Amino acid sequence: MDTLPAARQKPGLSDLHLQGTVGDVSHPNPRMSCNDVDVYYDNGAVHAIKSITLDIGNQEVLAMIGPSGCGKSTLLRCLNRMNDNIDGCKVSGSIHLDEHDIYDRQRDVVLLRAQVGMVFQKPNPFPKSIYENVAYGPKIHGLAKDKTDLDEIVETSLKRAALWDEVKDRLAQPGTGLSGGQQQRLCIARAIAVSPEVILMDEPCSALDPIATAKVEELIDELRAEYTIAIVTHSMQQAARVSQRTAYFHLGHLVEVNDTDKVFTNPEHHLTEAYITGRFG
Amino acid sequence: MSTINTEHTVHRFDDEINEIANLVDKMGGLAVEQLRRGVKALKKNDTARAQKVIVRDRKLNDLDVEVDEKIIHLIAKRAPVAGDLRQIITLGKVVTDLERAGDEARKIARLCVRINESDQHAPSEQILHDIYTMSAYVENMLKMAMDAFSNLAIEKAFSVLQMDKELEAQLDATLRRLSTFVMQDARNIGHFVDIVLGIRALERFGGHAKNIAGHVIFLATANDVRHLDNDEIGSLLNIKEEF
Repeated sequence: MDTLPAARQKPGLSDLHLQGTVGDVSHPNPRMSCNDVDVYYDNGAVHAIKSITLDIGNQEVLAMIGPSGCGKSTLLRCLNRMNDNIDGCKVSGSIHLDEHDIYDRQRDVVLLRAQVGMVFQKPNPFPKSIYENVAYGPKIHGLAKDKTDLDEIVETSLKRAALWDEVKDRLAQPGTGLSGGQQQRLCIARAIAVSPEVILMDEPCSALDPIATAKVEELIDELRAEYTIAIVTHSMQQAARVSQRTAYFHLGHLVEVNDTDKVFTNPEHHLTEAYITGRFG
Repeated sequence: MSTINTEHTVHRFDDEINEIANLVDKMGGLAVEQLRRGVKALKKNDTARAQKVIVRDRKLNDLDVEVDEKIIHLIAKRAPVAGDLRQIITLGKVVTDLERAGDEARKIARLCVRINESDQHAPSEQILHDIYTMSAYVENMLKMAMDAFSNLAIEKAFSVLQMDKELEAQLDATLRRLSTFVMQDARNIGHFVDIVLGIRALERFGGHAKNIAGHVIFLATANDVRHLDNDEIGSLLNIKEEF
């Protein structure tokens, strides 16, 4: 017998429509839940996300991986309604944060984006001081009673972002003067400052050197104690290092969701295996 | 031998892993050959032939080191995951078992040297007969295990696990027979310990074949079956026991 028994053969691309996602899309303690989400661009001409159902658990890091154009960043942007800003983008299905529909008409999108913060691929500090970068969010959301309160929020956020010791003596200097890794941690501090529940990260380390990457990954691990984190990454090793669950996307489908340990040692779907081992992508 | 049929985007990765797999394959052939030559030396009372086997064991040791180095480099450069990771880990384990199987073959050659250089009575053909039978059996086990490894053949690997059970029974029967010979005629006691150690070496040779079969199952199914009995492995793989 030169092949695996039928029971052990992994499903292929042709099975995608038939069986949906392999693994477990649910989480025993979900923070965000996507239910049958479809996303279309160009007024329906492009079907970017196809019937995706997925929980993001409380205090977990969920890694979203897949080849370019697979829909992972599109789904990430749906989680704090960043897609609202794209003309011709339509989202159907439902996405809940703590049982509240984030696409509800009554929903305050600005408040949602404070609850579900985002860190982008390229560090994008405001052209203001380090202090102002962190203080801006709490100020506009009225989270600080007075200057002392604001100072405390800035200090706590910078400490949580593991940046305080490096910048405490130059808070008045421009955030743009920091190194790339420091700027990215400043952006994380900025996201934390408004007390979010969920932090979305879209390839947060792709522009960073290995040491800066290691610092951000260490930070992600620490933040997990208090926040729910969804991270899109093209680095398989990063997904393996930082996440507890991994979701693999392909052509707008959610192919597999499983514990990261399983995905990187024995994925259920052959497409996941082919992608993470570098067979295509 | 890969669990994945499609080629790696980086062709060099496939080349490197194939290079390692070929070396491991070569080691498998060498280990079998060493056992065959060691037993032949014993049959022919040929010390010179036995010495060659002992010296030739270095080839297996050198290949062991060479493959380990290549595996370390591949892990460092390519950071393999999933089936690739299992494959590279399995290759490393198989290499260790093959090197040790070679050590057991060397012990048979040493047995030949000890018998020929000793003043004691040479053991009778009747006593050595068990060694010949058992060596053919374990040689076949290793061949089958390596074949299962090359072709990712789970059922064949499972057959090797079943053969190991039979080998244990053979070992017990052989030891009982040896005791009877000694009781029948005390002169047979010469080389008794050497013969027992030779039989033990063969049993261990078969044990390494069994380990390799277990590695094949791990590689193909990601199930670690090292500490499971054959019933449990059979039901895990949905294969019925033949014995």
